[in-house]
Amino acid sequence: MKKLAGIVVFTVGLILLYGVSSLDDFPSWGTPDSPANKSPLSQYFIKNTIVDTEVPNMVTAVLADYRGYDTMFETVVIFVAGLGIFAVVRVFEHGGASRVVTADTKPDIIITNTCRLLIPLIQLFALYVLAHGHSSPGGGFQGGVIMGASFILVALAWDLDIALKRFSEKQAFICSGIGILIYAGFGLASVFLGEEFLNYGIIHKILPGVDSPEMARYYAMLGVEIGVMFTVTSIMFLIYGLLATRGKMTAGL
Amino acid sequence: MEIVAATLILLGIVFFFGAVIGLLRFPDFFTRMHAAGKGDTLSTVLIIGGFILYNFSQGGDAANWNVLVKLCFIAIFIMLTSPTSTHALMKAGYESGNDPETLDDEEPEEKEENVS
Repeated sequence: MKKLAGIVVFTVGLILLYGVSSLDDFPSWGTPDSPANKSPLSQYFIKNTIVDTEVPNMVTAVLADYRGYDTMFETVVIFVAGLGIFAVVRVFEHGGASRVVTADTKPDIIITNTCRLLIPLIQLFALYVLAHGHSSPGGGFQGGVIMGASFILVALAWDLDIALKRFSEKQAFICSGIGILIYAGFGLASVFLGEEFLNYGIIHKILPGVDSPEMARYYAMLGVEIGVMFTVTSIMFLIYGLLATRGKMTAGL
Repeated sequence: MEIVAATLILLGIVFFFGAVIGLLRFPDFFTRMHAAGKGDTLSTVLIIGGFILYNFSQGGDAANWNVLVKLCFIAIFIMLTSPTSTHALMKAGYESGNDPETLDDEEPEEKEENVS
């Protein structure tokens, strides 16, 4: 059986290697004539992103502006994933039937002190990644994951009750909803000012200190990323809490 | 300066090699974590130190200083977090009943090796 599996893996691997290497319809690595690069759409983005939005990082501009609908509903997908895990896993203890998981060990002094030192820095770094999404790799999703990890670290180093005292289940759900509302709010604001949904350029009429549509798009992207970060942070933390405690949301691990 | 940097990086790789051998050859969980934790921390810091020195030798324009400060931060954080995570793993292993191997355990293990 093992030999058979080995043969199958080997053959499939060979076919894949043949497929990606020797056929002529693939362009060679890094060539400027590749179809993805030659299409008028990518040429437009390469030439006009900095003119349209003042954002040096094309990826962020495409993600949060040109392709704003997609990113908005990606955020909704994350929200729905959190809701789905909540609906499937969460157990409310009505009777005494369910087994109560208690943390039987005290939090370790070395671990807690290192976490005390590191968690503020992690959160600061999360904000840096968020705010630097315009000019370097980063953005709302990545910053949100780092921020969520800092809360998970609290839950790991002490226990979930202490983490929930700082960021309760209810607050987490409210924050995840607020994140989507911030995103949709930027879209709706541009609708009310007379443009299409998520066409941020028009917001410069109400943003103080911003006089050009380009800078308005720049700042609206930052706002949208902040919304994404709210959602991702709270849903990350919720998913960890729910899965680690089998839906009881007390003590844990 | 570049020679010193290269020496540091090579030294780091030697320590990494030691950590890998320790991870594979030591008999139980605790000694393995000991090799992995110590070797990993020291070698990563040495390699990053080599990077820092190399960066330093390339001159001091703005981009280089940017990289240098980031590398220093990475080294500091690895020195903080790597021993802590090793400690956490050790404690978790000890509390979940993973007893360290002692002299008493040695003979049966040798027998097992002979059998296999």
